[in-house]
Amino acid sequence: MSYLDLSNIRKSFESETVLDGISLTVPEGGTLVLFGKSGAGKTVLLRTIAGAIDPDGGTVAIGGQDMTSVPPEHRGIGMAFQNFALFPHMSAFDNIASSLTSRRMSASEIKRKVQDVAELLKIDHVLTHTPKALSNGQKQRTALARALVSEPKVLLLDDPLRNVDAKLRFEMRLELPRLLADRGATVVYVTQDYKEAMALGERIAVLDQGKIVQIGSPEDIYKRPANTEIAQLFGDPTVNLLDVVPQEDERGLHAFLSDQRVDFHGDFPGVAGRDCIVGLRPEALSFTQNGGFPVTIEAITPFNEKTVTLVTTLRGREILVSQPAQSAVPEGPEQNITISAQDAILFDRQTGKRLEPVTTGERVEEAA
Amino acid sequence: MSLLELNAVNKIYNPGSTHAVHAVQNLDLSVEKGEIVALLGSSGCGKTSTLRMIAGFEEASSGQMAINGKEINRLPPAKRGVAMAFEGYSLYPPLSIRENIAFALKAEKMPAAEVNKQVEAIAALLEISDLLDKRPNAISGGQQQRASLGRALIRKADLHVLDEPMGQLEPQLRALLRGRIKHYIKQHNLTAILVTHDQTEANALADRIAVMEGGVLQQFDTPENLKNKPANIFTGAFIGEPPMNLFEAGAALNDTEIHLRLGDDVNLEFPKARFSPELIERVLTNKSVVVGIRPHSVHLAETGLPAEVYANQWLGDQTHVAARFAGKSIVSVAHDRVRCGPGEQVNVQINPEDLHIFDPATGAALSHGRVLA
Repeated sequence: MSYLDLSNIRKSFESETVLDGISLTVPEGGTLVLFGKSGAGKTVLLRTIAGAIDPDGGTVAIGGQDMTSVPPEHRGIGMAFQNFALFPHMSAFDNIASSLTSRRMSASEIKRKVQDVAELLKIDHVLTHTPKALSNGQKQRTALARALVSEPKVLLLDDPLRNVDAKLRFEMRLELPRLLADRGATVVYVTQDYKEAMALGERIAVLDQGKIVQIGSPEDIYKRPANTEIAQLFGDPTVNLLDVVPQEDERGLHAFLSDQRVDFHGDFPGVAGRDCIVGLRPEALSFTQNGGFPVTIEAITPFNEKTVTLVTTLRGREILVSQPAQSAVPEGPEQNITISAQDAILFDRQTGKRLEPVTTGERVEEAA
Repeated sequence: MSLLELNAVNKIYNPGSTHAVHAVQNLDLSVEKGEIVALLGSSGCGKTSTLRMIAGFEEASSGQMAINGKEINRLPPAKRGVAMAFEGYSLYPPLSIRENIAFALKAEKMPAAEVNKQVEAIAALLEISDLLDKRPNAISGGQQQRASLGRALIRKADLHVLDEPMGQLEPQLRALLRGRIKHYIKQHNLTAILVTHDQTEANALADRIAVMEGGVLQQFDTPENLKNKPANIFTGAFIGEPPMNLFEAGAALNDTEIHLRLGDDVNLEFPKARFSPELIERVLTNKSVVVGIRPHSVHLAETGLPAEVYANQWLGDQTHVAARFAGKSIVSVAHDRVRCGPGEQVNVQINPEDLHIFDPATGAALSHGRVLA
């Protein structure tokens, strides 16, 4: 059952449309990630849910109740921001307790609640410090503690890991889902980092120019991106996008990349002969001794535990190939690569949109 | 003779005062012709001070610096044979991007047609062809950075000095441009030294990486050796994403096995025969050690040591699994998808060849896999 329910939210500033009819739902205790480039409308949407911005149209319902005209403090919402927004003159303890003081609660109860959440977030040893004496990681945890301590039903997190270092960001990315699940809050999480989005979101809503352009599981978005732009935003190294004009024969729709035939399974009426783009993830390509098609290695760039190789085809098209580091890059510049065909994604070149088969045909979907 | 040689170079800011900062300490570094070297570290590690001394924007407090055997300590920047792309060393605002990139070539009296050809080529490589007739203030920060990189790379120079060359690049372009730039540098047999805080960039581009921390060179080695043979805990933990798993451990030996006790409840046992006798002796004389295991070397298997999963995150081309282990957390990375959920028990397997053992007192590496460090 949905707990947070947004229906046709619209908002313009001056003549600029920032939110253009946003509808989405989040189930109770679920996490939805809002992903998009800066300016996509993520933060405005978050502030609209919080009640800090009044929408021009549409409704915000929480727990089945229309909250659109309810003031922010009565919506039962907790928030944390990327810039932490801590009170500089107050200790970490007082910062966290500040979200409890408006309620009638005894001092000992406040103390207990702050202590509990601080232990959970491993900041109980710095509660007497003012923000100036805290590291960025501790500030971020303090801000999160302040959002969590009042046990909000809805938690809005605006890119909370943006300003912490890579190591802590990684640790928090692993810990956050468990922590949020334990508190039982319904969460909307804004980020510009695709890895964070995939790691945290049961569902990810991709925003672009005030509209939701795709909403789905990490697997939906990575394997079946709605358009070439989304395909490029998810994945590092970036997806290879190559122009093709698919043809059809008795074996179905296919395209040739140099000598290799790539089949697209299922029915694609009217696609044969159309200008298309095929999207190939770098990890869907590999070097081979037999078959495939010839390429020239331009540069080998190790990438963590992967080796990313830039190659060019005979026609001069550039392709990035990514392999586990332990599988050796073959010696010498002239090599062959092969494509794992079930990973090819087909897009219309004119619109950039992904082309979907009318029937799934023999395409075998991986079990979720 | 190396192309660039730094010998016992020091940089001290505000020497003699109470707030003196010893930014670079006794740095020895040599760069061979045709090599790409990265200076890697977090802010304040001394990498940028080093680069600025090489370029001539800072004076070395002591030590020698030479290019092709010729001391450069007192030469002005323009006389050092160095081409630069620096963050503060910006494009000339009144000139178009084309004129900015062509500037040095024109000064060398290269024929106009040849200048144009080279500018067009480097602009295509850096994806700024359609910006060539714009002014610097009309393009984005990432585009300015590419233009500035183009201006440096197009020049003939003994040494190319690049400060955070790709820091502001659009993420979608990074992997491709890294490949193209590396190819260009190698094809033109340029020698380059670059500063970066991004280990991905350093690993991708550099033949050797100088890891710096607190003004001190920690290790100067190939990306592969930094990964497989980190000289100390700092480098071990700093290089690699996700970071290396580190555990304090007690070492003990019986007739047939070496035991490493992690936390209160985990005992790693390996047959003695899997290690060299010198290694066993060296590790055992230390008794308490720090054990490092890279996430890619933590295998989840049918059998092994029990751990409780608290996160399983699939990122498209890899899966990160985090589990409670030895009173801490252990991270395992797989290239494929892994099916296990929070709360589930998994079995962890660690092979002796993947162990890095460090001295807890000095942080120095004692062994990598089966051999001494």
